Amino acid sequence: MPQMGVSVAEGTITAWRKRPGDWVERDEVIVEISTDKVETEVPSPAAGRVAELLVEEGSTVDVGTLLAVIDTGARPGQAHADESTGNGNGKAPPVSPVVRRIADEHSVDLAAVSGTGRRGRVTKKDLLAFIEQGAGAPAKPAERPLHSESPYREEPAPAPAAGTAEGEQLSVLRRQIGEHMVHSLHTAAHCTTIVEADMTAIEAARGRLSYLPLVARATIAALREHPRLNATLEGDRLKVWDEVHLGIAVSLGEEGLIVPVVRNAHELSHEGLGARIKDLAARARSKQLSPDEVGGGTFTITNPGRYGALLATPIINQPQVAILDLEAVVKRPVVVSDGQGGDSIAIRPMTYFCMSWDHRALDGVGAAEFLGSVKRNVEGWSD
Amino acid sequence: MATTTARPAPLDPHQHPAHEARLTVDDRRELMRYMLLMRATEERALTLYRQGKVPGSHYDGRGQEAVSVGSAFALSPRDRACILHRDLGAHLLRGVRPGRVLAQMMGRAGGLTGGRDGNMHFGDKDLGCVGMVSMLPDMAPVACGLALAFQMRSEPRVAMTWFGDGSTANGQWHEAMNVAGVRKLPVVFVLENNQFAYSTPNSLEFVVDPIERAASYGFPGVKVDGNDVEAVFQASAEACERARQGGGPTLIEAETMRMHGHGAHDDMSYVPPEMLEEWSRRDPIESYEARLHEAGDVDLDSLREEVKAELDSETDWALAQEMPDPSTATGGVFATEDPVMGDGKAPWSRWAKEASHA
Amino acid sequence: MPEITYLEAISDGLREEMRHDSSVFCMGQDIGEYGGAFKVTDGFFEEFGADRVWDTPLAENAMVGAAVGAAVEGLRPVCEMQFADFIACGFDQLVNVAGKMYYRQGLAVPMVVRLPSGGGFSGGPFHSQNPEAWFLQSPGLKVVAPSTAEDAKGLLASAIRDPNPVLYLEHKNLYRRIKGDVAEGRYETPMGELGVAREGTDLTVVSYGAMVHTALEATEDIDGASIEVLDLRTLCPLDRDGILESVRKTSKVVVLHEATRSCGVGAEVCSLIAEEAFEDLDGPVVRVTAPDVPIPFSPPLERAVLPQVDDVKEACRELLAY
Repeated sequence: MPQMGVSVAEGTITAWRKRPGDWVERDEVIVEISTDKVETEVPSPAAGRVAELLVEEGSTVDVGTLLAVIDTGARPGQAHADESTGNGNGKAPPVSPVVRRIADEHSVDLAAVSGTGRRGRVTKKDLLAFIEQGAGAPAKPAERPLHSESPYREEPAPAPAAGTAEGEQLSVLRRQIGEHMVHSLHTAAHCTTIVEADMTAIEAARGRLSYLPLVARATIAALREHPRLNATLEGDRLKVWDEVHLGIAVSLGEEGLIVPVVRNAHELSHEGLGARIKDLAARARSKQLSPDEVGGGTFTITNPGRYGALLATPIINQPQVAILDLEAVVKRPVVVSDGQGGDSIAIRPMTYFCMSWDHRALDGVGAAEFLGSVKRNVEGWSD
Repeated sequence: MATTTARPAPLDPHQHPAHEARLTVDDRRELMRYMLLMRATEERALTLYRQGKVPGSHYDGRGQEAVSVGSAFALSPRDRACILHRDLGAHLLRGVRPGRVLAQMMGRAGGLTGGRDGNMHFGDKDLGCVGMVSMLPDMAPVACGLALAFQMRSEPRVAMTWFGDGSTANGQWHEAMNVAGVRKLPVVFVLENNQFAYSTPNSLEFVVDPIERAASYGFPGVKVDGNDVEAVFQASAEACERARQGGGPTLIEAETMRMHGHGAHDDMSYVPPEMLEEWSRRDPIESYEARLHEAGDVDLDSLREEVKAELDSETDWALAQEMPDPSTATGGVFATEDPVMGDGKAPWSRWAKEASHA
Repeated sequence: MPEITYLEAISDGLREEMRHDSSVFCMGQDIGEYGGAFKVTDGFFEEFGADRVWDTPLAENAMVGAAVGAAVEGLRPVCEMQFADFIACGFDQLVNVAGKMYYRQGLAVPMVVRLPSGGGFSGGPFHSQNPEAWFLQSPGLKVVAPSTAEDAKGLLASAIRDPNPVLYLEHKNLYRRIKGDVAEGRYETPMGELGVAREGTDLTVVSYGAMVHTALEATEDIDGASIEVLDLRTLCPLDRDGILESVRKTSKVVVLHEATRSCGVGAEVCSLIAEEAFEDLDGPVVRVTAPDVPIPFSPPLERAVLPQVDDVKEACRELLAY
C-alpha cells in the first residue's frame, strides 16, 4: 500500500485491474485504491507477470502492506495475448468446459462462485465445493409426493416495518466521506459566519471565466492577513502555516467528493490558480490524482453556488480549522453609497460567503475579520 | 542350355538323368496352356484398362510367360510362392482363376484382395502364396522365412520367389541372399532379367552380373534362357530338388525381355527398336508353339479355343462383380485368428501321385 | 512370488513361451551363445539350440522379413533388435510387409519384435530412441510398452500369442533398476488395457514405460494433491475408455512420455481427450515430453532433453493451480 500523502495511514483496495497471470507494463495501472483522502489508480512499479494478489478487493490495509507480487523474470507471451482485451478488467476469465457443464447441470450461477484458479478462474473444485455447501440446486429428478405431503407452506410472520427497496451498498469513497464528515462534526466546534459581498468587480474581471479563481485569490490574500485561519489543529496542537495549500472541493457526481490541493497557492496569480484548479478537477474526475495532490491542505474552498444555493453551513475538512463556502451569485437590489453620503438602490450581483470555523482554534471575531477581508478584496478587485 | 557359374557343382539334368525332371505330353500341354492363359488374361486386362475399367496403373509380364510358368511348374502343392507382378502365369498355375485377377485389377469386391489392393498385388493364401508389396525385393527375406519354417520343422518343402534385375541392386537382396546362404535355406530365387528396371538398363544397375554373385553367398547360380519354358522349368526343378534335399538355395537368372512398358502408361521410348525386334523373334509362346507343333503331340488349336472360352466366361464373371462396400474399408486391420495357409495347385505330373495321396 | 528384475521377467516370459510352444523361436544379433547384448536370452542357446535361438547376420530387414515368412508359415518368431534404434533398418519389412499383410490378404503374421528402447544412460542419438510413434502411424502393427516386471512378462506372453505383428518396447533403463513380484509359470497381461499405477482424484498423469516411474516419483506429494498415474502398457490398440474414465474423474491431465513431442503418443492422447472428453476438462491438457531433438550423449545435455522428475512436478503444480 503506497504512502498516499503525508497523513494517510491506510488504504482500501477498490478494484484490481490485473489478475494473477496477467502481464503488466511498468506504470500501467494495476490497482485502484481509496484512502480517506483520495480515490486513485496506482501504477505498477515494474513490468512483469502478476504472480499473486495478496489483498482482496474491499479490504483496508495499512500503508506499507504488500499488495501483490509481480514476477519481473517472466516474459510477455502470446499465450497471454488476451490480457489487453480486458479479461483483467474485473471480469472473471472464461470457465473450463467441465465447469460450464457442471454449473448447467446444477443451475449454478458461476458469478456467485469465488474462483481460486489462475486469474480468479472458477475451478471444478471450487464449483464442487460450492455445490456441496448446498448453494447450487442439484438437478435431481422430481420426487413424487407422499400421502403426508402437500404443497401447503405456513406463511412467515410479517416482518416488522418493512423498509423500502433493498437499497444499495455505499461505495468505498462514499463511506469514507461519511466517516470523515462525521468525525469532523464530532471533533470540531463548528460555527458558521456569513458575510454578503458585491461581486460587481469580480463579474467585470472574470469575463466568461469562473469567478472561483478570483475569489480564491482574494481568499488567499485574506489568509495572509489572518494566518490563524490558515492552520491545522490536531489534538491540542495548532499549526499555523506560512504557505497556503488551498483545497478545492470537486464533485464527482454520485460517486462523491474529492478535495485536491493547490500547493503553494499563495505564489500563484488568479490565472495560475485557474489553470491549476482546472487541471486538478479534470484529473480528479478521471481518477488521475496522485496521493500527495489530495493531502496536506491548509484551507478549503467549496463551491456549490453554481447550482443556485444561497446559504450553507459546510463541515470543516479536518484537520483544517475553516472552510469557505461560495454560494450563488444573484442579482439583487441593494443600497449603494456614492461616497458623498448619497444612497441609492442599485441592481448588483451579490453573494454570501459562508464560512464554518472551528471554535477550538479561533473565535467569532477572527472569523468575521477574515471574512471582512475577503469581502473587501472581492469588492475592490482590480487586475 | 543352363550355364552354371558358381559352386557347389550343379545338378545338370543332362549329366544326371536320375534327377532329370521329366515332362509328359500333358505336362507340355499344361506349360503351353498356362502361358497362353497368362497372355490372354493380360491382353484382356489391357483391354479393360483401355476401356477405363481399371483404376490406377496397369502392369503385365508380356514376353516373360516362360519364366513364371516354367519355374512355378516345378513347385509341389505344399511349396510356397512369393510371386512378382510380371508372373501372372505362376498365380494361374497355382490355381488362381483369371476372373478373380481381372476383378482384382478392376478393384471389385470379387478380386483377390476385395479391392484393398490392386493390379498384381495379391497372393492367395489358400493357394500357398504370400502376396508381394511394391518394395522390391521385399519378398526375398520373406521367402527366406518361409523356408526357415520348413527347415526348422524338417519338411521337404521349398519357398520360391521372383524378382527383377533392378532388385539385385537393393540391400534387401543382399540380406536375403546372405541369410539364405548362411542357413542353407530351402529357397529358390528366380531372377528374371528383363533388361530394364522401369527405364533403367542393366548397365546402370550393376557391374557384375548378379548370377556371378551367387558364389559369394555360397550357393549355385544358374543362368537360363528365360524365353525357353522347359529350360526354366528344368533349372527350377533342379533347384527345388536340391532345396528339398537340404542342399540349400539356388539363384536362377532367367534372361528375358519385358515386351511392354513398365506400366501401361509407359511408351518404352528408352528401348531401342531393334532390341524389341530381336526379342520379338524369340517370343516364348511362339517358340514353344513351334516346338510342340514339330513334335505334334499337342492339339494347339483346341488349346487356344479352350483358353479363349475360359477367358470369355471369366471376364463376364469379373465384370459382374460389384465394387466393394465403402464401409468395409476400415475393418480387418488386425487379425483375430491365425488361419493356416492352403496348398496350391501343382499341375506337373510328378505331383499327381503325391496329390492323390494327400 | 519371487521378486525379479524387469530384465529377468522378460527372459522368464520368453523362456516360458518357448518351453510351452515349440513354434516360438528367437532371432537376433548376438543372442546365441553370447546371450544377447542385454542378456535377455542368456542360457537360451544351451536350452533351445541354435535353430530356435538364431544368432542372425547383421541384417534387420532380412530378420524381420524372415520372421514374416516364418510367421505366415505357422511359427511364432520373436525378433530382438539389439537396440530399438535399429528397427529403422528393418522398417520396410515391418511397415510394408508385416503390417499390411492381414488387411490385404487375410494372412495373419504372429510375430514379435523386441525393441530395447529409451535413454538415460548416455547412449547417444543411436542407442536411446523411443520409436513407438513411428509405428502408430502404420496400421496393422500393435505396440506394447511395459513398465513393471509383472507386465513385462505378461505382455510378452500376450504379444507372442497374438496373431498380429507386435512391437514390444522394453525400456533399457528399467532392465535392472526395476524389480517386482512376478508369478512363476505362464500368464498373460491383456493387451489394450491400461493399468492404474496409482489412484487419485485431482489430476491424471498418463504415461507408459520408464516414465511411469518418473510420474510416480514426481507426484508422490505435490501439496497433498491426489494424483492418478495411468500406465498405458499398450500403445496400440490404445485403451481409450480407460483414459477417458480417468479424465472424467480428475478433469486435469498431464501426458508424459520420453519420446519426442510432435505427433507422439501424447499428441494422440491429447486429441482423444479433446474429442471425447472436452466437457470434462478443467484445464488444458499438458504434455511433458522430450523436445523434437535427437537424444544427446553428454549427461547434462541428455538430462536437459529427457523429462525429469522436476519437469513433471512443475507441470502438475501449474495445472493444479489452473
